[in-house]
Amino acid sequence: MAEQIRTVRVPIVERVLEANDDIAAVTRAELARRGIFSIDLIGAPGSGKTALLEATLQQLAERSAPRRRPAVLVGDLATRRDGDRLARWCERVVQISTGEGCHLEAGQVRDALAGVELEGVDLLFIENVGNLICPVGFDLGQNVKVGLFSLTEGDDKAAKHPYLVTAADLILLNKVDLAPYLKFDRAGFEADVRLLNPTVPILEVSATTGAGMDAWFEWIDRGVAGLLE
Amino acid sequence: MPVVHEFSIAEALAAQVLTYAPAEARLRGVEIRVGPLRGLDTEALQMAWEAVTFGTSMAGAVLTVEQLPWSVTCSDCGREWTSPVPFVSCTCGNETPSPVGTDELDLLAVTVDDPTDEDET
Repeated sequence: MAEQIRTVRVPIVERVLEANDDIAAVTRAELARRGIFSIDLIGAPGSGKTALLEATLQQLAERSAPRRRPAVLVGDLATRRDGDRLARWCERVVQISTGEGCHLEAGQVRDALAGVELEGVDLLFIENVGNLICPVGFDLGQNVKVGLFSLTEGDDKAAKHPYLVTAADLILLNKVDLAPYLKFDRAGFEADVRLLNPTVPILEVSATTGAGMDAWFEWIDRGVAGLLE
Repeated sequence: MPVVHEFSIAEALAAQVLTYAPAEARLRGVEIRVGPLRGLDTEALQMAWEAVTFGTSMAGAVLTVEQLPWSVTCSDCGREWTSPVPFVSCTCGNETPSPVGTDELDLLAVTVDDPTDEDET
């Protein structure tokens, strides 16, 4: 009876997040069927994700053409503040409270979308939880990932978060209006980005002053039109 | 090291492992492979795995993490090598070779007590 218990190794080879990715694939197909261009906005706490979306929604609502009908999902740990801020500019805003979760998962996005009237919507913003690491690895079913950095975070943020830089379809550098007051090496920041992702566009914006926002809108319009690479 | 990132991965892993390990077989080990883009810390993953499986049928199973390296290419001299960190200088003096990482996060295998042993007694 005292003989050693033998063990057997069972080879598997399967993605750990397969369950998440399967849900995301269904969401992606549904959004494509409805002709909705979807953006997963990822950035650190305080980088200006909500401020950027506020300015974006306001200007989209005020401009004459082309008309956009956006919807917004907002991930936040515990409060409803972000959702309330955005609801001033957009009728279709759903807050996803993640509790302890540091990122959104595909199931949360699927469930939140079930509560949105998507008829006529052509643009979906998903504001992820403020975090530069966890959200990147979880597919939500979005078309593109936008990495939001800001001058106040320091110029080494890109180098320290290679997954986001590599995975991003667009990098926004926010708070450029503060450049005169900060030591931010913009050339160094861009060089770090280029080492990791040679082709990603980098747009400089200020959600506060509106600087650079036209290029951001142009990029969004190209995305809705299916013209992004 | 923030463990919260690793925690959600460990939770997904535990749910996945449960579907492979038969309820009657005692789980001894779990092997995963992680690409460098994931930024997952091995020790933090193991701590999170221990916490997630505590008090479950998977408790005590050892998590083995294979960390894949970055592939680095020097644009000056053409040298290619692998590195555990993305930003490294080349031996030729170039301080900015290009790092390329992958984002695998794969369950490779589970190890369980051989269920046929019990039949022999």
